[in-house]
Amino acid sequence: MNISLPPLVALLLFPGGLVLLISGLVYEYADRKLVARYQNRIGPRWFQPLADMIKLLAKEEVIPTGVIKGLFIFLPIVALTAILTAALYVPMFGFKPAYSFSGDLIVTVYLLSLMTLCIGLAGANTEDRFSLVGATRALTQMFSYEAPFLFALLGPAIALGTWNIGTINAAAGQNLWFIIAQPLGFLAALIGLMGKLELSPFDAPEAETEIVAGALTEYSGRGLALFRIGRDVELVIGLTLVASFFLGGLGSPLDFLWKTLILLLVTAALQSLFARLRIDQTVGLWWRWGSILILAQLILIVIGRFVGPFIPFLGRG
Amino acid sequence: MGSEKKPEKFVVSIGPQHPALKEPGHFEFGVEGEIVTSATARLGFVHRGMEKGTESRTWVQNLYLMERVCGICSHVHAMAYAQGVEKLAHVEVPPRARAIRELIAELERIHSHLLWLGVAAHEGGFDTLFMLSWRDRETVMDLLESITGNRVNYSANVLGGVKIDIDEAKISAIHKGMDFLEERTRHYMKVVTEDETFLGRTRNIGSMSLDLALRLGAVGPTARASGVTYDVRVDSPYAAYADFPIKVVTDTAGDLEARFVVRIKELYESFRVIRELIDHMPASELTTRIPRRMPEGEVVSRVEAPRGELFYYLKSNGSDMPERIKVRTPSLCNWGSVLSTAVGHKLADMPMILAGIDPCFSCNDRMVLVNQDNNLSTWSWEDLRQYGIEYYK
Repeated sequence: MNISLPPLVALLLFPGGLVLLISGLVYEYADRKLVARYQNRIGPRWFQPLADMIKLLAKEEVIPTGVIKGLFIFLPIVALTAILTAALYVPMFGFKPAYSFSGDLIVTVYLLSLMTLCIGLAGANTEDRFSLVGATRALTQMFSYEAPFLFALLGPAIALGTWNIGTINAAAGQNLWFIIAQPLGFLAALIGLMGKLELSPFDAPEAETEIVAGALTEYSGRGLALFRIGRDVELVIGLTLVASFFLGGLGSPLDFLWKTLILLLVTAALQSLFARLRIDQTVGLWWRWGSILILAQLILIVIGRFVGPFIPFLGRG
Repeated sequence: MGSEKKPEKFVVSIGPQHPALKEPGHFEFGVEGEIVTSATARLGFVHRGMEKGTESRTWVQNLYLMERVCGICSHVHAMAYAQGVEKLAHVEVPPRARAIRELIAELERIHSHLLWLGVAAHEGGFDTLFMLSWRDRETVMDLLESITGNRVNYSANVLGGVKIDIDEAKISAIHKGMDFLEERTRHYMKVVTEDETFLGRTRNIGSMSLDLALRLGAVGPTARASGVTYDVRVDSPYAAYADFPIKVVTDTAGDLEARFVVRIKELYESFRVIRELIDHMPASELTTRIPRRMPEGEVVSRVEAPRGELFYYLKSNGSDMPERIKVRTPSLCNWGSVLSTAVGHKLADMPMILAGIDPCFSCNDRMVLVNQDNNLSTWSWEDLRQYGIEYYK
């Protein structure tokens, strides 16, 4: 589906800005509710994420001693900005990306990692022991999933011969869905997304029973609210990205809704199925299995593109 | 990472307020990266002066005070106290009362072990197991409430017997509850021994050898997981454990997984003995008369609490108030095992190793003076008070 909006509307209202923030809250609610139901709990009410956000925004922001003040205030803003910017290149809600250029896939992936980077810096900025350990873990975890996640998204890109998200989205539906053609890539992308969002079982960087709230232990009020809404929006963008690449593209808002919700259903199930992985187990998992499998698949895809014309289904992805 | 500016030791202090701790305690772990190199504990944040409090209450009033030493294993405290007092008074408790005491004690063990299973799973970040085991624990909580009228401090004991009885309706309700719980427990056994991610957090973590367990004087499931075949219920039967015996459950691995397995197998034993108890409940009175003033003397009373051996020392001077009551709870005996097994593990394992002994902070907080150089000294009440003020400053 294609609509053209004045740039200011696209930035502030739709698909960027306000609608994105609201959808972030909605998806946070859906995620929390699903996990709760899997665990046989009742779960939050529909307005709980919004209520949390309003409460945090209304609260005093305590700036602890020993931090670089500017950085402390600036980091949450950078994180949220990066995430909101990333949304402009992604087919949000099934509409064509608001902006696009060839190679915007790489930019988007790195805008998404800026969140983790900011959280890591925010943790390292404070003197709190839990924050320092959390920051170390957040960055360690980033180094483990980032490469496989990028490679997983490159799978469809290489198979289709374009690094433009809009083009991949449009072309993904016309071929065999990439979830069938590249199942390993799909798995790596989905699990990588969970690692990015620090969802259980990859929540070692913010494991509350060990290091309280990890890198964000010292954050309160506005800063914490911005980080949290940033992560909510990252969830929506990540799901959109994975759905548009691997689940046959997003052609309409309805497509967007059911495909992302199915992905959410799967991630929520994965969240409730496993015990938390220690950080060394996470790194081991990615470098021992994730990277090797994804590299093997990437080589297959590259070979497939050369011999593709002779074997019909491989090269087309 | 992050190690460039620290020639001094990097200490992560956990507590007194920390999400991993449900009660206040303070632990300092020296870490190098993620590896723990030293561990110390400081307890005493919830010292309540209960032992001193007993000295100004009558023997009967103390029953209710001692029941409140622990919020999880309240019945065993009341039972240990009541048994001690009965021994002092040379009173024989009727068989039905003894059987009901054992019944409540075993139901309480089920509730305590399921609670621990949930807490330990939560420490390992496995919240689904936490939520589900606590949901199932409601079954036994409801049973306890329907039998005694209370969910936590059951108040089932009186000096000389029990004050509650079991009828047919309750027996069938217990049967139904045990069947449901047994089925669920078998499922949990499968989870803790087969789930790969969970095994990654428990297998070979916090291993304690038999020698170490004996040297540190560990008790209860913690010790039995290391192969110590010691259980007060078997070695020195009380209540009705002589007529309705249990089998000691042990394991040899000594790691966290073994502690899970031992506790879950103990649940099986509890289900079995509860069924036996309610099917063959002896018929008799529920109470015997007991004097208000206890004859002069001193006794030791021991019971097997869910966490291990619970020890009571009672001294009477012939009046209606005790001269001295000393309580030693099992958690206190197990701290050594936490601190000595923690070193060498990862920081991420600390919450699970802490939770592995099923610690109960407020019941073990008491003043302990480690006498290192063998000089015997007596502390007056004023000295103690001053020491307390200094300690909590």
